[in-house]
Amino acid sequence: MIAGLVDAILYYLGAALLLIGGVLDVIAAIGMNRFRNFYLRLHAATVGAIGGGFYPLLGLGMIALTMHGLGETRLYIAGIAFTTALFLALTAPVGSHALAQGAHRGRVVLPEPVVVNKLLEDEEKQGR
Amino acid sequence: MGRAAKAAALAVPLTILYLVYTGSWSLFEAVIGFAASFIVGLLFADAVVSRPSKLYSPVRWAWALVYAVLYFTIIELRAHAQVVKLIISPGGMKPGIVRVPYSVETDYAVTTIANSITNTPGTVVVDIDEKGKKMYVHWIKVEDETDEGARRHVSMVFEKYAKRIFD
Repeated sequence: MIAGLVDAILYYLGAALLLIGGVLDVIAAIGMNRFRNFYLRLHAATVGAIGGGFYPLLGLGMIALTMHGLGETRLYIAGIAFTTALFLALTAPVGSHALAQGAHRGRVVLPEPVVVNKLLEDEEKQGR
Repeated sequence: MGRAAKAAALAVPLTILYLVYTGSWSLFEAVIGFAASFIVGLLFADAVVSRPSKLYSPVRWAWALVYAVLYFTIIELRAHAQVVKLIISPGGMKPGIVRVPYSVETDYAVTTIANSITNTPGTVVVDIDEKGKKMYVHWIKVEDETDEGARRHVSMVFEKYAKRIFD
């Protein structure tokens, strides 16, 4: 009884996370096209990586845990999904950091339009 | 002794990660996993762990769990809602790069804060000044241009928990 309830909760929560992830992926793709600047597109990419990558993987793991017909295999699938989600959350910002810093240091793109740019102010103060 | 303690401290989380990843919960797998993790721990202990007692502290792990749950539910939900709203109607955008000071000591804490800021849509760390202890954050909708105001909006929660987990 209790086990069935836990299974049902896991299944529907996982399905909801998968659905949300798909919707967020589409929205992130729209944002990539709508935003007209490199730095703004990084924000849309974050929506795609966390909302469209991390949460669906968690949902996949939850759904896999409820598939008792698979036997032991469901544990492999869930474990791989959960660890992939963990490492995605840990490593996705590394790429964003590298891209943002590289773009700034190389002066390849200017963050236009911009309200305030404290980084450029400080660098000009130090004469870099 | 010091190196072995560090390696053991590193091997326990690695073994748990291995067991979750492979999904096999037999004693044989646990022993094999621990042996391999211990060797990896011996190789990397000096670079990764500085004070092994921190890894054994249950209070820190409990705070890490609280932070993970809070971060991946409420904080991420709020940030996603803001950016999704901006994607649908890009009118309210006010992008800018602000200064965000921080006051944590260890590298792990700084990395946690920077990763947390970048992982929430709407804020990306562009550069970091380790001597002056401040980050430069590209913010999609600048609500406060002053340093302390930006810190209150962007990284206050992350800093509070990073201090409890790693410092």
